[in-house]
Amino acid sequence: MTYADKIDIRKLNIWFGEKHVIRGVDLKIKANAVTAIMGPSGCGKSTMLRAFNRMNDVIKSCKTTGDVFIGGKNVYQKNTNVYDLRRQVGMVFQKPNPLPKSIYENVAFGPKIHKMAKGKSLDAIVEKSLRSAALWEEVHDRLNDSAFDLSGGQQQRLCIARALAVNPEVILMDEPCSALDPAATAKIEQLIRILSSDYTVVIVTHNMQQASRVSDYTVFLYLGKIIERGETKGIFENPQHELTEEYITGQFG
Amino acid sequence: MVICILAFLWIITTILTGIGTFNAELLTTSALQGGYFEMIVGTIYLFLGAAAIAGPIGVFAAIYLVEYAPSGKITRIIDQAINNLAGVPSIIIGLFGYTLFSRQLGFDISLLSGWLTLSIMILPIVIRGSEEAIRIVPKAFKEAALGLGATKWKAISLTTLIAAAPGIVTSVILGIARVAGETAAILFTSSVIMTRGTPSSPLEPVMALSFNMYVKIVARGEGPESVFDIALILFLIVVTFSLVAIILRIYYRRKQPWLS
Repeated sequence: MTYADKIDIRKLNIWFGEKHVIRGVDLKIKANAVTAIMGPSGCGKSTMLRAFNRMNDVIKSCKTTGDVFIGGKNVYQKNTNVYDLRRQVGMVFQKPNPLPKSIYENVAFGPKIHKMAKGKSLDAIVEKSLRSAALWEEVHDRLNDSAFDLSGGQQQRLCIARALAVNPEVILMDEPCSALDPAATAKIEQLIRILSSDYTVVIVTHNMQQASRVSDYTVFLYLGKIIERGETKGIFENPQHELTEEYITGQFG
Repeated sequence: MVICILAFLWIITTILTGIGTFNAELLTTSALQGGYFEMIVGTIYLFLGAAAIAGPIGVFAAIYLVEYAPSGKITRIIDQAINNLAGVPSIIIGLFGYTLFSRQLGFDISLLSGWLTLSIMILPIVIRGSEEAIRIVPKAFKEAALGLGATKWKAISLTTLIAAAPGIVTSVILGIARVAGETAAILFTSSVIMTRGTPSSPLEPVMALSFNMYVKIVARGEGPESVFDIALILFLIVVTFSLVAIILRIYYRRKQPWLS
């Protein structure tokens, strides 16, 4: 099966103050597939991911050069509407971060701020999003409870539902399971597989097993540079680069 | 420690003496008949109005300082100025209010002059308290909202501020507790010995419990016993507000698991 490119990154460089974090990355990411970006802690994985929806803009010392095309549009163009971009390119964070609101209001938050729906149609979006995040069955009778009453794994699925509610095309996941136990992790991984049929998913992980389990394509990032990329199976079974092999055999990380 | 215990014993003595001379009917009796009605209402008018002015200004100042102010010399100066404002003696703030509001702006001796003057005293308390309340809200809330495409202001107003609201309300109530018994600041700006009824417009002067005590002892030369009951009423108003603030804080801390 072949996929079209959804994200096209060209000559991406990112600095935090003097620190050159991402060093000239060129990368194409396939649509409707899961791409895992793996690498040791501090190699710039999260920073690269946050460049796709311009969440790095929030950090004052951060400087970005190069281009990121998503669906053919350069997100670093001057006239890009970052708020609309972040609607199209959803993000799930490392630690589940539900808002201090009810389960319903968490999912409804995005549609509300973008004035996408209200009343019955908002209810429908909330239900659909919770179903897509495999959470509906567990919460449908307590939508008005605080999101903090949910378990960690449920909270993370709620955050996925919240991202889905605004109709994104791409979902970025920044180590979404690092704060979860194995059972909750398995559920999220299963969900990621299902989501990839409708969305382009990019997941950052330093867990190699996770990368091999969930992704179609894998990118190995080391010290801000791409060392190797390709189909996940190929990377794990037959790494071309010495560093990749050392990493996946656990010699460093 | 010893001073605290002595102060506490002294307060208890005051309360007991106050209770001894206390007559509940006086609460609703007009001052013209020797009661305290206008003073109680006047005191409440004064601090509620001052809080209504200082509250929003203080909260916006806190949002600016925490979320928007660039870190630099000017921000540091503003920061220091707020600390200094909290330390200015109330008689000087009263004098400032008298000069600016009563004289220059022509509000005269009025509720309005008192509100504005007292709000200057509340302001640093609200700013510092709200800043603290905003700072302890996890960054993750704002980040979640930004990640969904919220503007910075929407992210702050719809997540950070709502999560910080209990702390902000607490800071306003503490501000009220600070000025409810204030005398020097209303001495020149808003209080008079006697009014006919409660003020019907912000440009009329008011009676106040604290000012009445001052007048009775200093101007009329009465002994301290004559104001013990007023002292008790004032004390109870302030303590009630502080207690409400503490209870609110405990209640919301339970409801906000991210704080623990």
